[in-house]
Amino acid sequence: MSQTTVQKPIDKILAELKAKGIIAKAESESRGSLEVTKDKIIEIAKIMKELGFDHVIAVTGIDFPEQQKIQVIYHVSSYSVEDLQKIIFAIKTYVDYKDPSLPSLTQIWGSAWTGEKETYEMLGVRFEGHPQLSRLFLPEDFEGVYPLRKDFKIKLEGLFVDKPG
Amino acid sequence: MEVEVVPVQGELNVGPQHPGSGHMRILVKLNGDIVEDCELDVGYVHRAVEKLGENRNYMHLIPLVERPAILDSIHMNMGYVMAVEKILNVDVPERALYLRSFAAEVNRIASHLYGLGILGIFIGHSTAFMWGFGDREVWLQILEALTGARVTNSYIIPGGVRRDLTPSIIEMTKKAIVYMRKKLKDWEKIFLKNPTIMDRLQNVGVMTREQAIEWGAVGPNLRASGVNFDVRKAEPYAAYSKLDFEIPVYKEGDGYARTLVRFEEMEQSMRILEQIIKDIPEGPILADRFLKQIPPIRMKKWVQGQGRIVLPGYYASFRPPRGEAAARVEASRGELFYYVVSDGSPKPYRLRMITPSYRAIYVFKNLCKGARYADIVSIYGSLDYFPPEADR
Amino acid sequence: MIGNLLSLIRFYFFYPSFFVVIIFPGLLFTGILLLTTIWFERKAAARVQMRVGPYYASKKLGGYLQLIADALKFVFSEVIIPAGVNETLFAIAPILLLLVSILPFAVIPVSVIPQSGSVFSIYYHDFYDPNVGYGVLAGIFTCYNLLLILALESIYPIFVIFLAWVTNNRFAIVGAVRETFLSVSYDALILIATLSVAIEYHTLDLAVIVQKGIPGVIVNPIAAFIFIVGMLIGSSRFPFDIVEAETELVIGPYTEYSGFLFVLTMAGSYVGNFIYSLVFVDLFLGGWYPFSGLPGAAIMTFKAVLLLFFSVFLRSVYGRYRIDQALRGSWKYLFPLSLISLITGTLVGYLWL
Repeated sequence: MSQTTVQKPIDKILAELKAKGIIAKAESESRGSLEVTKDKIIEIAKIMKELGFDHVIAVTGIDFPEQQKIQVIYHVSSYSVEDLQKIIFAIKTYVDYKDPSLPSLTQIWGSAWTGEKETYEMLGVRFEGHPQLSRLFLPEDFEGVYPLRKDFKIKLEGLFVDKPG
Repeated sequence: MEVEVVPVQGELNVGPQHPGSGHMRILVKLNGDIVEDCELDVGYVHRAVEKLGENRNYMHLIPLVERPAILDSIHMNMGYVMAVEKILNVDVPERALYLRSFAAEVNRIASHLYGLGILGIFIGHSTAFMWGFGDREVWLQILEALTGARVTNSYIIPGGVRRDLTPSIIEMTKKAIVYMRKKLKDWEKIFLKNPTIMDRLQNVGVMTREQAIEWGAVGPNLRASGVNFDVRKAEPYAAYSKLDFEIPVYKEGDGYARTLVRFEEMEQSMRILEQIIKDIPEGPILADRFLKQIPPIRMKKWVQGQGRIVLPGYYASFRPPRGEAAARVEASRGELFYYVVSDGSPKPYRLRMITPSYRAIYVFKNLCKGARYADIVSIYGSLDYFPPEADR
Repeated sequence: MIGNLLSLIRFYFFYPSFFVVIIFPGLLFTGILLLTTIWFERKAAARVQMRVGPYYASKKLGGYLQLIADALKFVFSEVIIPAGVNETLFAIAPILLLLVSILPFAVIPVSVIPQSGSVFSIYYHDFYDPNVGYGVLAGIFTCYNLLLILALESIYPIFVIFLAWVTNNRFAIVGAVRETFLSVSYDALILIATLSVAIEYHTLDLAVIVQKGIPGVIVNPIAAFIFIVGMLIGSSRFPFDIVEAETELVIGPYTEYSGFLFVLTMAGSYVGNFIYSLVFVDLFLGGWYPFSGLPGAAIMTFKAVLLLFFSVFLRSVYGRYRIDQALRGSWKYLFPLSLISLITGTLVGYLWL
């Protein structure tokens, strides 16, 4: 019986976010997400950090060429608050091809450092205010193209390769 | 008495061809013996898993995602399969869950031994290096008997696992546990209690609890800094919710604490293995939905006869529904995160793979600042940083 | 006529200045010992580490010939001289290093010569030491041999630094700086340990110390301990493999060397270790006493070889200390200890010996 009366941690987070006027949704007991515009992202990040989400697991960029947009997702979770340890919250935002820049969240979450660097080199999203926005994985002479954008095609052999001649 | 220190500055380019760098370059800015700044030039073994992931069918990705960390391939495999299963919405039978835990824990011990061996040779202890690799072999043979391959197992498939446990594997595991328990005592004598090792690891690369959280450390490195976090407990997957084990946590946050955490995790893993051997339920090892698709003749010969799954044709190019899934597992080096976005085609729209070593890049970089030059290798080893895993 | 010639050859062959320096335990024996030591090092480490070690080159000899094969391979492999170094100095540096390390053989007394009954007895008068009452079997007879050995050994680090400077490699330079720091500390330790024994026995002549018949390890064990630690640091053995430190500095000062020149650089530290072992045996383990002549030299060398084997075996037990830890250890703990050994030496020497 106590199961029903005790509020699930994810519901609590959603309620608290709702009180601040932020709409978030829960996909399951341990996954939640919210969408923000890029001018609000710092504000939201600060709120999330106050709620107890203290580190960034991943910074993911997804290219949507039809919409001329790149989606940037911060997956955040918590180490210090035990109830939140199982929750991964996704903060989603979009940047345009014309101005692919976002304010960096490294000031709030230091652990976004690696992910933002990688998203910068792989998708060309500039994170304003990142302490060291430079190449991470790619070689120094790799220029002009962003490998994880959909217009960068790689040559595939396929399963069945015709032998020449 | 005031001693005037004359700054002696210089840069050292450690790697990529250096006995202590692994597959990367560490640009070290030195002031005397102190590291002022340290730049990690990673990417020498970058294999573009994420880009290739957008060009391969879901099933073909299984061998790919385990390549970055071949010595931890069960976990790499499991995290990915769990994300795919979430999109597919498959329920995995109980026995398969236990088998996943079994393979994962065997792999964890093997991986920790590898890490300890590397740590040993980094601080000059060649015996630890050889012992680590020698004792690891015992566990790899179990994996080989179970999955058919020593390192790149591809054992876990959506809906279950590929092969069933046999009595001879159980026998091997029991022997291996007895051997390892005996051997861990020797390890303690020659490695953990060795004065040189203690001097090289204690108070070296100290990471406080706050720093560990801020830098996003994972796995044993995080737990050595006093954060009690383990995905197996926080968000139980496979059979971990039914197994009894403890999470070793240390407060010191130095290299020695990280080493101790690994040692104790090996003991806990062996406890888990014993429980699995005792408690593993009977039943199918693949979800019903896929088992039905195996032709009856093959079913009789392979699945019922030898406990091996013959992959039904469905797997070749299945199309999962639209959706996204984020899955994580506790790999040997820490939390491993997968984010898979499906657009309904046979290939993922986006595959995001965040490995524990990837998250250790920032930790490593920060820990090196202010350390002594000789400590770089000891920090490197105690973080169990594995360049191919970080580069993916 | 032929008999005359043979006896002449015999005379020159066994002439101590030639025999001790070139044959035994000098150059020739040291060369063989070097291979044996490396073979033992590998085989013993393999034993500890669940391996087999050298095996295939000669299965019956336990893989001993593997080392000869390795040496041959090194001799015939290309010597790569990096661009921008002075080629003459680059080639000459390792030779100088080995030369300096092997020089002390000339003055280490390895045995005494009795007036009759030994192959060396004919040289009795030429090498007669009035303080001992015997002839002394040594390359060059001098009653200040202890001083000379220490002086020659302390030049060794200078040549290591010279070699590192010549190669113009950053890792080599860092290794040389470490060598500089360490040499100051281990030389101090060895000097004081030796000094305390010298004061104890009231002499600077190793032959006199040995002929006293009381091994130094009994009268001054602290000095013996300090000498061993100093020896381990001085010859870059584990746990003080700080100068070479493979995972940190590639191989320290010798990073740029390849082929035969590399063998020479590596030989230097082993020869240095052997010389320290010989001196240690003379000082603390009773040297050749109570034997004399060739058996005495054999006994003494045997002890030294055991000590050498012990110091290379430490590789499989210990890791590597950091430079600051080694320096702190030697100045904070061992240096005061060595002063205690000095006091012990003075007191015991005054009261007993």
